[in-house]
Amino acid sequence: MAASDVSALGEFEHVVLLAVLRLGEQAYAVAVRDEIAARTGRDVSRGSIYITLDRLETKGYLRSRLADPTPERGGRAKRYYTLRRRAVEALRESRRALVALWRGLEGVLA
Amino acid sequence: MSARLPYGLDTVLRRLLPRDLGEPVAGDLLEEYEHVRGRRGAAGAWLWVWWQAIRLGAAFRWERAAHRRGVPPIAEELRSVTSMWDKLRQDVVFSARLLRREPGFTAVALLALALGIGGSTAIFSVVDSALWRPLPYSRADRIMSLAEQRPREGRWFGPIAPADFFDWRRDTGAFSALAAYMSYPLGNPRAYNLTGTGDPERVRVLEASPAFLRILGLSPVLGRDFRPDEETVGRHRVALVADPLWRRRFGADPSIVGRTIAFDGAPYEVIGLLPARFWWPGAPEVIVPLALSDHDRALRDAHFLDAIGRLRDGVSEQQAREDLRLIGARLAAEFPVQNARHAPNARTLRDALVGDVRPALLILLGAVAFVLLIACANVATLLLARAAGRQRELSVRRAVGATRGRVVQQMLTESVMIALAGGAAGLLLAAWGLAAFRAIVPARFAVLPGIAVIGIDGRALAAALIVSTITGLVFGAVPALAASDRHLGSSLTEATRGASGGTRARRLRSALIVAELALSLVLLAGAALLIVSFRNLMSVAPGFQPMRIVTAQVTLPGARYADHQRTTAFFEALYERLRAAPGVERVAATTSLPFAGADSRLDLEIEHRTADSPVPVRAHVRLVSPAYFATMGIPVVRGRAFTDRDDDRVPQVAVINEAAARRYWPGENPIGQRISLGAPDDWRRIVGIAGDTRHEGLDADIEPAAYLPQRQRFTSLGTGFERAMTIVIRTDADPAAMTGVIRGAVASLDAQLPIGMVRAMTDLIDDSVAPRRLDFLLVSAFASVALALTGAGLYGVMAYVVAQRTREIGVRMALGATRGQVLALMFRQAGALTAFGLAVGLAGALTVTRSMTSLLFGVNPADPVVLAGASALLTIVAAAAVAVPSSRAARIDPLAALRE
Repeated sequence: MAASDVSALGEFEHVVLLAVLRLGEQAYAVAVRDEIAARTGRDVSRGSIYITLDRLETKGYLRSRLADPTPERGGRAKRYYTLRRRAVEALRESRRALVALWRGLEGVLA
Repeated sequence: MSARLPYGLDTVLRRLLPRDLGEPVAGDLLEEYEHVRGRRGAAGAWLWVWWQAIRLGAAFRWERAAHRRGVPPIAEELRSVTSMWDKLRQDVVFSARLLRREPGFTAVALLALALGIGGSTAIFSVVDSALWRPLPYSRADRIMSLAEQRPREGRWFGPIAPADFFDWRRDTGAFSALAAYMSYPLGNPRAYNLTGTGDPERVRVLEASPAFLRILGLSPVLGRDFRPDEETVGRHRVALVADPLWRRRFGADPSIVGRTIAFDGAPYEVIGLLPARFWWPGAPEVIVPLALSDHDRALRDAHFLDAIGRLRDGVSEQQAREDLRLIGARLAAEFPVQNARHAPNARTLRDALVGDVRPALLILLGAVAFVLLIACANVATLLLARAAGRQRELSVRRAVGATRGRVVQQMLTESVMIALAGGAAGLLLAAWGLAAFRAIVPARFAVLPGIAVIGIDGRALAAALIVSTITGLVFGAVPALAASDRHLGSSLTEATRGASGGTRARRLRSALIVAELALSLVLLAGAALLIVSFRNLMSVAPGFQPMRIVTAQVTLPGARYADHQRTTAFFEALYERLRAAPGVERVAATTSLPFAGADSRLDLEIEHRTADSPVPVRAHVRLVSPAYFATMGIPVVRGRAFTDRDDDRVPQVAVINEAAARRYWPGENPIGQRISLGAPDDWRRIVGIAGDTRHEGLDADIEPAAYLPQRQRFTSLGTGFERAMTIVIRTDADPAAMTGVIRGAVASLDAQLPIGMVRAMTDLIDDSVAPRRLDFLLVSAFASVALALTGAGLYGVMAYVVAQRTREIGVRMALGATRGQVLALMFRQAGALTAFGLAVGLAGALTVTRSMTSLLFGVNPADPVVLAGASALLTIVAAAAVAVPSSRAARIDPLAALRE
């Protein structure tokens, strides 16, 4: 099960999941986009962030909640995302597989 | 913070985005909105936020659509870059799948298009190389072809008298150089006997003024060009060798320059090698200087030169013509007897080379374009019928969000794919067709530049590609627009009910079928006119009996046969030997064999008659041996033929043809009258009248002619005239077998003398009609294809109608309609279309065939029988095409139809 979960995750979905994980309680779209930009240098379009977050939630990797409205957002709610258990497992499994594959290759590609 | 999102943005986001994403996204945007306003100002921020909203909306829409189609989702940023190509690729894959699923439809469409595009490409290649490509000379548009015109005879471009040419060359200010060359008809340059190394061989030699090559803008690749003084007799024994002869005969040896070769035993020094790209009508293999004797240079009566000239820089064609006109007028005043009736004329070299075949080529191009149009209409009809069948699928696609543009784009992709595939198949067809064309290329086309090497090149490829794409767009656009332009709901329900398409689609199909019928009729009428012309032509009697006659040209070298006696003696001995050969019945010779091209016209003076008659008095002059009339089977209708006693010891005699008798002695008896040809007081008494013969072709007018006996000296046409004779032999033997006999007889008299090609007289006549045969064969082939396509189109439409109306016909039959009534119903529908198509086609045919007049012979372009025949044929094909589906309709089982 875990292995098939890894293969079902696209590369960009992977990136988004890790960003959400890093942000902990503060993971909402704008923050995720900034986090990805800060860590990887990738400038990603808003559309792909929203779509991927939405898709990951549909697939059952993410859970979201609407926070209370804040004045600086003109009274609009914020949608925060957190990882579900199977997302954490999928990431763990994927890390294990990748590290296993990387072992011994550091000298080659570093 | 007073920041607010633009009015309406919230609503838009809520509409475009899924579930409850609208509000948080709006909030997110507002967070960034402030920053953006700081950087770009209020207006920039306003634009930015709307742009983001639209992009987000579009991204989610696309995501949803992709999800529904099962297309694996891909990252949006990738998609936005590649979406255009991606859509195209999707369309291509989808279309290919559809086309594979319907092999019958695909095959028919491909075949129709392959014929249309292939034919167009092949004919385009021919027309392009003949009419549009620049001639292979430098600044070819500055080269003019010069000629003499005789306005009163309606002749505009005739050969030039030597004295005239030298006067023009001396006096012109408009041309930087003029060069004359020996006029040769039907693309056959004079054949010289190449002797010395190896077997004697006849090679095609162009005798031209030294400036010839320079005027074409060419120069030898090895050695040098002629010098101006090398046109003087005595200094003229120099030769320029063309590339093919150099490779064939001299093994491409570069040391050829400086070597001596022998023509008719006379040594010529090779001074240069012509470039490989050198081309001239008739493909001469050697150029030697045109060196005329003083006697010949002074001739003003005998016209046997052609000329070209290069315009001086800054001189227009019109100025050049004016310059020549003034010179001509001065010469006419100076030499009223010889020059009053003719004047110089000039046209571009291209006009001179291709002017005669241009109408035929353009008609072929037009005919093939018609085939292409019919093929387009045909495929469009098929697509329309198919689109009607696909209505339900299209409606579903639109219902789930495909825009009209998207549907049209997919259908156009499909039709362009069909067209390109058809074009590819067409190219194969064209390459094959051109190979066949090269093999049978008739003499009349052989004078065209580049025709021998014609093939599919970059230009033809480009033409095919463009034609294919446009074709695909044109025949695809109509059905695509028609199919996509339906109301969703109505077509969803209508398509299930099986009506025969909407009103618009039905009208379109009818219009296309009418167009096909009309175009076919025009083509059929054109083909029929050409066939009738050809039949008329073949039923023309040549005026002699061509069966069992074998001909061979023998040209004696002036160096060894300088005088009249030796020349005559050679031919007399040759006749003697040939008569003794097995299978030979009669032997004779002539200077100008019918259908071989050569003929020479001279002014004719009639004794005791004033010179200035309103019509010019001229006649073709032909030297013949005594047995000529009997051998050829030309009847002597009055008086006598020549005998062996008609030689220089007795008064000179002549035989004229009936045309001369009719024109110059109307109501009189010309026998006993005396005439002089081309020279003053060279009187010859008319002793007989021979039957008229066709000379230049079965379609050429019969001109007045005078025959002179070979044994009586005749010098008006220069000294070489009597040395170039064509032997005619009446025999039971095979022409191929005669070659050896003739070669043996000639060799036994002069081992250094080769003979020209031995040809059966019937072959010569055949060659003369070959261009017309090609015209009518090609146009007939196109018309047949058109007929087949139209029949197939009509069949397809009626079959479709029957399939769609099965239920309705079932109801009719259940209510008591008989099979006959059902048949009548179907035929009425098809009959109306056919009648309409024929009417439009007849109107078109009457307009179009008028432009074919120059290709017709003995038939009026509006010939009612021809038009009726073409209409009848088309009607029969249409009836046959309709019969099959109609009888299927009549056999419908009402119960089964209603249950469906």
